[in-house]
Amino acid sequence: MEQMTSKQRFLAGLYGDPVDRPPAASIVSVITYELMDITGAHFPHANIEPEPMATLAAGAHEVMGFDSVMPIFSIAQEATALGCQVDWSDTDMMPNPTDSPWADRDVEIKLPDGFPDSFLEDKYVKCAIDAIRLLKQHFGDDVMVLGKVMGPWTLSYHCYNTQEFLFDTIMDPDRVRKSLETLAPVPLAYAAAQVEAGADAIVWADHATGDLVRNTMYRDFLLPHHQELVPQVEAPVILHCCGKTLDRVHYFNEAGFTCYHFESANPPDEMVEKAAGKMKLTGNVNNPITLYARGPDEARAEAQAAIDAGVDIIAPECAVPLQAPVANLQAIVETCKDNRHQ
Amino acid sequence: MSREEEIKKGLFDHTLVGEASEVVELTQEGIDLGMDPLDILFGALIPSLQEVGRLFEIGEYFVPEMLVAARAMQGAMALLRPLLVDKGAEPIGKVVMLTVKGDVHDIGKNLCNIMLEGEGFDIVDLGVNVKPEEVVAAVQEHQPQLLGFSAFLTTTMPFFKSNLAALSEAGLRDSVKVMVGGAPVTPEYADSVGADGFAPDASAAVRLAKQLMVDMGYDVSMGGDDSEGASALSTAVQAVEELMVKSGKHEE
Repeated sequence: MEQMTSKQRFLAGLYGDPVDRPPAASIVSVITYELMDITGAHFPHANIEPEPMATLAAGAHEVMGFDSVMPIFSIAQEATALGCQVDWSDTDMMPNPTDSPWADRDVEIKLPDGFPDSFLEDKYVKCAIDAIRLLKQHFGDDVMVLGKVMGPWTLSYHCYNTQEFLFDTIMDPDRVRKSLETLAPVPLAYAAAQVEAGADAIVWADHATGDLVRNTMYRDFLLPHHQELVPQVEAPVILHCCGKTLDRVHYFNEAGFTCYHFESANPPDEMVEKAAGKMKLTGNVNNPITLYARGPDEARAEAQAAIDAGVDIIAPECAVPLQAPVANLQAIVETCKDNRHQ
Repeated sequence: MSREEEIKKGLFDHTLVGEASEVVELTQEGIDLGMDPLDILFGALIPSLQEVGRLFEIGEYFVPEMLVAARAMQGAMALLRPLLVDKGAEPIGKVVMLTVKGDVHDIGKNLCNIMLEGEGFDIVDLGVNVKPEEVVAAVQEHQPQLLGFSAFLTTTMPFFKSNLAALSEAGLRDSVKVMVGGAPVTPEYADSVGADGFAPDASAAVRLAKQLMVDMGYDVSMGGDDSEGASALSTAVQAVEELMVKSGKHEE
């Protein structure tokens, strides 16, 4: 089969079309300290300035060989624009929301004044959008450019406080619904801006995971929002949900996602069976053990297992530890190249 | 059924579904009626938490259910604790606890604090997102025998090593034993960064802390283990811990 461009390969994987070899992807962050040194784009600048953000993201393709690039490394852009405190200053860590404005029950659950314009003009949100634009200009149609948004469930963890939000799913479900309804327009507005800037697909992170909540909570609280919101995104949407999720994939199948990015807690063959062809799948090479603490041989073995199971796009399972060796990530790509179809 | 029996049944039922205000009211009523705090604990609260744990194990309960049950239990413990701890002994050691830089997850650490305190340790909790220089300053100020580092993210657990390096640079590494833990942390990783011990959960953290104290030549037999009240408290917090550690392990 004739060699495809990275974008052709990724899109073919995303839609189940023939590929020259399995696509290898950066879905959420594959950024490491080593990649920062190689590209010369370091934190914190690469989280808060468009040029270094795009430069570092480009390294996922130009250094590691992945078929996609994704510049939104952290989970904090929307959070800060929604009023959470975030420390962006560190050179050696991912930004992380440190304060949840709605944890105070006396605070009204509402979006900031002027939404969506004020949100999209926020320095950190705008930075990510501009970085996508730069990546599109740089790669054109050769490489898949991904955007990323947080869905209303994950945004609630940030704005509401994870523990308080989970607590209230039982003790105050109306306030939980209010949070989800209030936050629902945020990923839509952010995704639209990313697509306009050149994103070829959107990663939608929403962590209603089996490690935290029962599957019926996803069904009852979040699925209706997904069914309403996801079709409004004018690009393919890739769901990211960490942890054990086999018990809710049949609900994910009804939500309208094109693809699901899953973790190593779920055996790939079982995930393929559960997805039943209704969503394409990407994942699921283990981060903390394989990519962080072991070597390229182990990374190759896990990538091959995902390929053999029928996973459509091969990728690390979640945000890669910053200390992971680049060679381990390159091993995923090399494994996909070794599986070239004749 | 006597009122005391009704109270115990009510405590069991309300704790099981996390109805905190009812649990507090019934606990207070039981105390006011002169019920033995040990009977309230072992006759109602702990069996209820054990049932919560069983339901979690079989997949009937998830983290929210455990959170509401544990929070209801905590309300009762706030009332019972003074009645039990009064019989306790002097602290057997001081532990500085923290979640490392870049990490804001603290359920597991907080459970360790509860357990260690229940076993007679004096706890200094530095909170979350603690920078290496703050670790050094805390060791200088509080002069603990033990340090506990918690990390929940694979992106933050390397700060164990940063903290240990900062302690070495300050000449403090040999003055304190360091325990590490957190969902992604393994014994191999703890060894590789030079920690003195690894604990996968709060119960193990207590055993490790005591062992490290013994290794340093301290006598830990003088702690809360010798008093009936403190022992009961320890059992109670262990029951809470068994629930909460499970939820902590599975936090986002």
